[in-house]
Order: sequence, then structure tokens, then C-alpha cells
Amino acid sequence: MKTNLLNWSLNLAAAVALTASLNAADDFIRYVARPGATVTINGTSSIHDWEVEGKIVGGYFKVEPEFATDLSLKSVPSVTTKEKNPEAIISIPIRSLKSGKDAMDRIMQEAMKAEENPMIKFTLKEMIVKGDVPAEGSPVKFDAKGDLAVSGETKPVELVLTMERKPNKMLVFKGEQKLKMTDFGITPPAPKIPGMDMIKTGDDVTIKFEWPVQTR
Amino acid sequence: MKQEKHLDLNRRDFLRGSSLATMMMMMGGVPLNAAEENPLVNPDGSTTYTGQAKPLPVGVIGCGTWGREIISTLSTITFGPVVAVSDTYPAYLKRGGRLAPEAKQYADYRELLADENVKGVIVATPTHLHKQVVLDALAAGKHVYCEAPIAHTVEDAQAIAAAAHKAVNVNFQPGLQSRSDKQMVNLYNFRIKAGIVGTRLKARGQFHRKMSWRFSSPNPDREKEINWRLDPALSLGIVGELGIHQLDLINWYFGLNPLAVTGLGALVNWKDGREVPDNVQALLQYEDLLFHNYECTICNSFNAEMGVVYGTDSAIMMRDRHAWMFKEADAPLLGWEVYSRKDNFYNESGVVLGAGGTKQDTHTAKGAAILDAADPKSPLQYSLEAFLINSYDHAAGVADFTAMFGGDDLDALRDYLVDSQKSRVAAATLLDGYVATITAIKANEAIVKNGRVEIPENLFKLG
Repeated sequence: MKTNLLNWSLNLAAAVALTASLNAADDFIRYVARPGATVTINGTSSIHDWEVEGKIVGGYFKVEPEFATDLSLKSVPSVTTKEKNPEAIISIPIRSLKSGKDAMDRIMQEAMKAEENPMIKFTLKEMIVKGDVPAEGSPVKFDAKGDLAVSGETKPVELVLTMERKPNKMLVFKGEQKLKMTDFGITPPAPKIPGMDMIKTGDDVTIKFEWPVQTR
Repeated sequence: MKQEKHLDLNRRDFLRGSSLATMMMMMGGVPLNAAEENPLVNPDGSTTYTGQAKPLPVGVIGCGTWGREIISTLSTITFGPVVAVSDTYPAYLKRGGRLAPEAKQYADYRELLADENVKGVIVATPTHLHKQVVLDALAAGKHVYCEAPIAHTVEDAQAIAAAAHKAVNVNFQPGLQSRSDKQMVNLYNFRIKAGIVGTRLKARGQFHRKMSWRFSSPNPDREKEINWRLDPALSLGIVGELGIHQLDLINWYFGLNPLAVTGLGALVNWKDGREVPDNVQALLQYEDLLFHNYECTICNSFNAEMGVVYGTDSAIMMRDRHAWMFKEADAPLLGWEVYSRKDNFYNESGVVLGAGGTKQDTHTAKGAAILDAADPKSPLQYSLEAFLINSYDHAAGVADFTAMFGGDDLDALRDYLVDSQKSRVAAATLLDGYVATITAIKANEAIVKNGRVEIPENLFKLG
């Protein structure tokens, strides 16, 4: 009986907690990714610098409704305090990244173990307005923290996000992050092509993205 | 060999002694041979990534001579498994099946299209049967490789083009192999586009081969069926069926569509009851008074198959997938030219334009061997490989886009697919196939009437 009661109260507590979190999410408005994104990854090699480019950046951004109406963002706790946080997931399909050479694309997919981990995924943990918000509400910079998952490895990252407000309730987030392939367990490709010296890819890469989102 | 043995021993020892390794690590030791355990790195430091294309299972519809050539070529490509073949004629189906023992055999192509294992189809039926097969294949959600010409009438070509344009989820590639052939693609990208001929004047092309162009069969009905090429109601004649690749090559290298064509044709030698001319000429006219003089005969074989593009600085001759540049005395010296090899033709000297040899290589024995060697891959192989890779990537692009943004907005999906072709393997597009087919249809029309046919510009536009 005692055990049952304990179970019951635990369940109640869980239910209350769940409801609370659902309510928090219910308060938020949801921006979803729209077509028109770009993502580039730039790197180096022993012969020349390289760039891959993608046009799919998916995911969503959830925040208080005031984010859409209060251009100063002062009434939006989740981007002005650390107590509350917006929610966002940004995901990029690895096979949508194109180098210009189909075989190189496939080598990149192998290196990033894309079969098991098809997405590059960023989960936002915190996002605080950085500096002044212009009167017209755009562009705004944010100090952002989150988890970046690549190739089955997840690492905390900090980056500056820039947001621009566009017509039709569209927001475009821009960001840039320097990474090391080996931090994510990726062995930098060093292909050997007959008749040529081995090409060695550098460990350092820079990922840049432009991510349009819109409320439905 | 010794090196490998040594490494094997290390690896085995390392695995066997894992408890020792753990102990050593706890004591602060670093297992030096752990680096060798990375299966992605070879002993020389290169990585083991293969870049191997993912397989696209295909069905081949039509197992005649060309269909069987396609099946044979696919059997040499590791990522194009032939899982089904189809032909209405039992003997052909059997022969096709023999080349692809794993493939299911279907007498009715619609059953092949219902086979879920088939992701793409190669349509190698007689030209006049393409339309229904292609429309059904697209409706069944298959990627389509359609042999060229894609159709024998403007109406059928338009129907195929409209359906292929609408079928945004699948890849359509016309069988214009030169557009994928590394030799011709490199010649275009690095020489023709760079303008080495100077101001363009004209092109000349020929297909000369003495042959009856008739297939024999003991069965009169079958004989009529397999000799559809000799039926003027079903065939685009020798200019369309034999010449389309050369007509397309000049459209491509000029970057233009013909405005008009003047034709001449006669049946001279093979008077076996056929009505299709065996000796023809087409003068295709382009803007700026550029023209292409194309000759095709099955009555004489002199000089075989070749094409020449003429300009004020040089002429480029193409034959057997090799090319030579014949320069005018007053033409500017090109930087790479000094490294190049020259071949003599009667009293002319041609600079060899080869894909595959580097400029430093061309005057060495090794370079000469590269230039002389036939490309081990046939144009058909390049073309089929492009179809397999591009179809796979097309499907991946559709899947990724719709997973992220939903599948409702077909225009947005179409824009994305156009926008994300950076790594697309060189291949003829739907428009290329349509334009080449219209060119062949109009050339044949001019030849049949022994006169001039204007081609309205809007006929080349899709939709």
C-alpha cells in the first residue's frame, strides 16, 4: 500500500512536471525551417582549399510570442535571461552537402559515417541578446550555446548567431563555427590517386550557415 | 608483404593482450600501436575511404542488340545491378536474361514496372514504342534512361518531355552518351568553350558505313517488326537513328538550336522494297549564319565517322573519341600548345587534344601512350554510370528535402533539385534530349521532302 502510494505520488509529480513543461512549450510560438537555406563547410588540403555547399537546413525555433511582436526583445525572457531558454534544433543532411565531385561527396559521407549518423545536428541550449537591438529590430546578435552532434559525437559549442527579420514573419539566422574533424572522431580523408601524391585534408574546417525560419 | 605481416602480428598481439594493454594504460603507458588500429588509415597514412557509389537496381526494357549491349555494360558496373529485363519477343528476352542471370524476366514491361525492386529503367525499345513505356515508367515512379532519339514524332517527344518535367521525384536522362563521355566533355570544357577555333564558321559531320541496316528473321511478321527502322512511318531514317548523336554534339558545341534545315536524300543502293533513303545530307542552319553540314550514308564507308568544327583560327577534328587541332598560320600561339604532340594527316599536321594526359606528359612516351590508348570506358558506360549516380542522388535529394520541408510544394522541390546539382555527373538533360530529337525529326522531314524546313524557335521550349 505504502509502495503504491509512493508510486502514485511519484506519478503525480511526474505528471505535474510534464504538464508544466508542456505548458511552457505551449506558450511558445514555433518557427519552422523553410527552403532557401545555405550551408558551407570550408577546409584545406595539401593541394588546394575546398568547399562543400548544401541547400537544406531543417529544424525549428521555439520562443515566446513576444519575440515576433516586441522588436526590442526586452519582454522576451528566454533571450534576455538565463533562467528561460528558447528551443531550437538545426539539422543538416550530410548527403545534401556537395563538393562538385560526386566521388568526393561520397568520401565525405564515409568519413562522417553518414549511414549511421545522417545529420549534422545542433541543439540550442541558451541564446542571449548580445549588444544593442536596433530600433527596427534587425539585425540582432546573440551569444548562443548548444550541443553539436556530428558523426555520432556530441560536443558543446558556443557561437554568435545573427538574426535578421524578413517580410512575412520570416527570420534568417546566420552563424559560423570553426571545428576540428578529429574532435568528432572523423579521420580527415587522405585519398591516394594513382599517379599523384597523396592528398591530405586538413583537420580544421569552418561551417557557415544561413537558416530561414517562418511561423506557420 | 613483410610490412603487412608485421602489422598483422601487432594487431593480433594487441587484441590478444588487451588486458595487458588496459593495465599499461592504467599505469600511464600509451599503447603506441593503437594508431594502427584505425581501420580507416592505411600504413602509408592514406585513408581507406572508397567513394564507391551506392547501387541503383535497374530494369532494362527492350533486349534487342542495343538493349543487350546495355545489359552487358551494366554488368561491368558494380553499382548498377540489373534486377529485371523485359521484351515482348521470347527469344530476345531469353538472350537478355542470359546476360543478367539474376534478373527477373518479364514479357510485359508493365510487370517490370510493378516490380518494387526496380528503381530505374533503361528504355531500349524501338523508338516509336518509347512514349507509352516512358510515360508508364514515370507514373510508376522509376528513374528513366530513354535511348535517343526519345521519340519519332514531335507529339510523342512533347508528351515525353511534359511527363518527365512533371515527374519531379525522378531523374530522366536521354541516351545521348557523348554528353557523359569524358573525352567529349573535356574537349568541350577545356577547348571548345575556351574558344580555340577563333570566330566560329561551321561544322561538318559524317557517318559513312556500308551496311544493309536490315535484320533478318525467318518469320515474316517478326521481320517486319524488327525492321521498324526501314518503315518511314515509324523511323527517323538514317539521319535520326544513326546521326542523332552527331547532330546533338554540334548543337552542344555551338550552344545553339538550329533555325532551319535543308535536306537531300535518296534510296540508291539498298532497293529491297524499303522506302527509307540510304544516302542523305542535311544542312542545319543556326543563328549568325553558322551551319552544320551533315552527311550520312550506308552505301559507302570511306572515312567512317567524324566531325569537324571550323573557326578562323583553327579546325578541330573529332574521330574515334580523339581530337586534333589544325591551326591557321596567323592564329595566336596557345600556352599549352608547345607541350603537345602532333600527328600528321596527309599534308596537314594536327595538335593532339587528349583528355587524360597532362601537358607535361604529352611529349613523353608515357604521355603518348595515354593519348593513343583508347579510353577503357565506353561512352555508354560513362552515360549509364552518370544515370545511376545522378538517379541515386536525385532520390536522396527528394527524400532529404521532403523530410525537412514536406512534399507539398513541388515548385520549391524542383528549385532545390536544380539548385543542388553542383556534383551532378555530366549527362544529357531532358531538354538536351528533347532538342536533339526535334533536330533529328526536322532533319529527316527535310530529307524526305528534299527541301527546306523552318524550325520555329518555340518548338524547342519545354511546356
